[in-house]
Amino acid sequence: MIRIDGSKGEGGGQVLRTSLALSLVTGKPFQMVNIRAGRSKPGLLRQHLTAVKAAAAVGEAELEGAELHSKELTFRPKALQSGDYHFAVGTAGSATLVLQTVLPALMTASGPSTLVLEGGTHNPAAPPFDFLTKAYLPLVRRMGPGVEATLEKHGFFPAGGGKFEVLMQPAPLKPLHLLERGNVVRRQATAMIAQVPYDVAKRELETVGKKLGWLAEERRVEELKRSAGPGNVVWLEVESEHVTEVFTGFGERGVRAEDIAEAVAEEAQVYLEAGVPVGEHLADQLMLLLALARGGSFRTLPLDGHAQTQIETFAHFLDVKVSVEEVSPQVREVEVGKRG
Amino acid sequence: MAKTRTRETVVLGMLGTTLDAGRGPRRWEKWRPTVGLCQQEDLLVHRMELLALPGHAELVQAVVEDIAQVSPETRVRTTELNIRNPWDLEETYGALLDYAKAYPFHPEHEDYLVHITTGTHIVQISMFLLVESRHIPGRLVQTSPPQGVRDQGRPGIHAIIDLDLSKYDTLARRFEQEQREGLSFLKAGIDTLNPAFNRLIERIEQVATSSRAPLLLTGPTGAGKSQLAKRIYQLKKTRRHVSGPFVDINCATLRGDGAMSALFGHVKGAFTGAVGDRPGLLRQANGGVLFLDEIGELGADEQAMLLRALEDKRFLPVGSDKEAESDFQLIAGTNRDLQAEVERGRFREDLLARINLWTFRLPPLCERTEDIPPNLLYELDQASRALETRVTMNKEAQEHFLRFATSPEARWSGNFRDLNAAVLRMATLAPGGRITREGVDEEIERLRAAWAKSGPSRQTPAVDLVVEVLGDERAEALDRFDRAQLAEVLAVCRQARTLSDAGRALFAQSRAQKKSINDADRLRKYLTRFGLSWADVAVRGATAVE
Repeated sequence: MIRIDGSKGEGGGQVLRTSLALSLVTGKPFQMVNIRAGRSKPGLLRQHLTAVKAAAAVGEAELEGAELHSKELTFRPKALQSGDYHFAVGTAGSATLVLQTVLPALMTASGPSTLVLEGGTHNPAAPPFDFLTKAYLPLVRRMGPGVEATLEKHGFFPAGGGKFEVLMQPAPLKPLHLLERGNVVRRQATAMIAQVPYDVAKRELETVGKKLGWLAEERRVEELKRSAGPGNVVWLEVESEHVTEVFTGFGERGVRAEDIAEAVAEEAQVYLEAGVPVGEHLADQLMLLLALARGGSFRTLPLDGHAQTQIETFAHFLDVKVSVEEVSPQVREVEVGKRG
Repeated sequence: MAKTRTRETVVLGMLGTTLDAGRGPRRWEKWRPTVGLCQQEDLLVHRMELLALPGHAELVQAVVEDIAQVSPETRVRTTELNIRNPWDLEETYGALLDYAKAYPFHPEHEDYLVHITTGTHIVQISMFLLVESRHIPGRLVQTSPPQGVRDQGRPGIHAIIDLDLSKYDTLARRFEQEQREGLSFLKAGIDTLNPAFNRLIERIEQVATSSRAPLLLTGPTGAGKSQLAKRIYQLKKTRRHVSGPFVDINCATLRGDGAMSALFGHVKGAFTGAVGDRPGLLRQANGGVLFLDEIGELGADEQAMLLRALEDKRFLPVGSDKEAESDFQLIAGTNRDLQAEVERGRFREDLLARINLWTFRLPPLCERTEDIPPNLLYELDQASRALETRVTMNKEAQEHFLRFATSPEARWSGNFRDLNAAVLRMATLAPGGRITREGVDEEIERLRAAWAKSGPSRQTPAVDLVVEVLGDERAEALDRFDRAQLAEVLAVCRQARTLSDAGRALFAQSRAQKKSINDADRLRKYLTRFGLSWADVAVRGATAVE
């Protein structure tokens, strides 16, 4: 059985979610020890448990240690089942993180699936729904599987109450090479507000405009009338010839709208200046897709601990080799191939 | 694989009509304890038992819906409690008690948390009491609002409070330490070995530190009743269970007219010679402990007034028409069988019933021979203090003394008083405070002589040993003269470990005068006259005493 030390690398929930995803795809059971051992609340928290339970449903897995605070988990998938799934996640976890855990397996399952996810769609520390639909899923489609996601209702932290549906038409994953971004063809800054003063959105967009020089027609306010709770998200979409990237900032009480917009604009600026196609968050997800396709390459920004942890986790399940080459101080080239 | 059922977490909590309230989307920016408790990342509530007062259906509905949204894993069950005034303790506690009593608790599969952040303070107090009294077999959970501006609108934090304080290691260690100190204190620091006595002291420590009910200490004179009473008081004082003084009196000294006045006081001019007010011992003991030794000696009038004072904390001083008050804890001592005194009409049955809720019998020293060595060391220490010189006893002298002191011959009829006197005498007579073998020999003789005067038998046999050993017929056939002698010899044999021990006890005087050299042989010959051997008269199946 594959044995993974959950405290290694970034030592948090990501190594768990990646392991669950890979175990579902490969059918290989694993045991994880020292789950989140170094964290202030070690062991499985509710959001992790939610991901484990969802993965177990998709893979008809047997579980041991799937309890709150548990530091050891054994996950034995029996059979990958495509079909209709409904996961109510609540706000203690993020529905998008649950989706990322089960989606890779359903891409290669024997039949199509429909997933309905309820809970948080725009939680801090999780990829927001707009990142999924605009940046991540187009790459999935390009590698083979057909996938569509429709948002029915936004769910912000802490109220949750969001809902979206994902249709998955599986197909074998083809390698993807994404070394060039091409020209930027469209830029869009969106300040989304739900039961939050309009002024917040206005100030966010002004900040983005000032910092990045984006024009008025490239900035828009999206005001939600029927979300379950209040929320504010500002996201920047950079559509280029070969890829679309999305950068997101979450409004928080006690933090000025300008500061939130400033931080997300800074992130986009670093990406734009480096000239790479893939940003930091997309890199982690794309690497997993290439590993499953057993081939591909892309250029991105210098990798952080999360990416390193991803690479180490692949080695437990897959016969792939991931190499990272420094092209320039701000550019890395990641190449995924078969091992040996 | 057999899937083990995981334990479910069930929260019982009262809807907070203010804290849990909130309308419109802005309610999510407000800390709402009941909803927040279901949003904790490290707590999964499987079931929420939401209790509500009448007239809050709309709020209940809103909270139920919000919980469903933030925590789909949580099932909410609502119960309306018929409490009209949630600030009324009697009504509120009563309603919650009824709820708890009717609730089907399954502590074997479910963990119960009682949320005490919401509800009126009276609701919170009632919930606390129900958990503390184990009517609800759970722990308390407290939620608190988010700290800091950035966490506003977040669910806040929770803390689980287990009222079983023994589960907190450092506290448990402190309690243990405190209890050990208490036990040691009650035993005057003497490391007693007698298991029955040590158990008794443990029980006394428990009662003394948790009850204000009267204590009754029984046991023969000199067994240490007044010493113990004083130490119980000091322990209670250290633990702050009493604030007043320790007042003690031997009721045997309270005879005649002065008794009432000494106990209950009098007013000026109550009787000839009553030149001023006298508070009396009961009033002096207010807030403290009153030790009435030899309570069986109290007269009928005093018994009646004492009963009144115990039941109502009020009594009438002599000559006064105004009742006095005093709140004291009573410790009573007696060497009499008070039940027998009741039967003889000499002690009030209702008073006995009032004072013998906690009865502790202090065993005589001869039942605790293993405690004689540590008590000897204690007495030597006491003697050193009394004589202001270091009193020592060499090993040989100590062994010699202990051999005698623990033998059946040593009757210790005055118990610790005898031991204390013996050591004090030896110490006083010892040159330079060093007690020698010779000094011990002298003391042994003094003790023997003293005990010989106070009557022959150490314990009145409950059964007729002569009949038991010889049978009815042969016993009947004996002369009264022989029978009386044989009875005493048999009683000594029963107490003795060996034939030689019994011989030494029976012929102690001859032995002291060196008239007899073989006590055992002399005894064996005496028994043979009745057709008896040692085996016939010794304790069956045992060669050692107790």
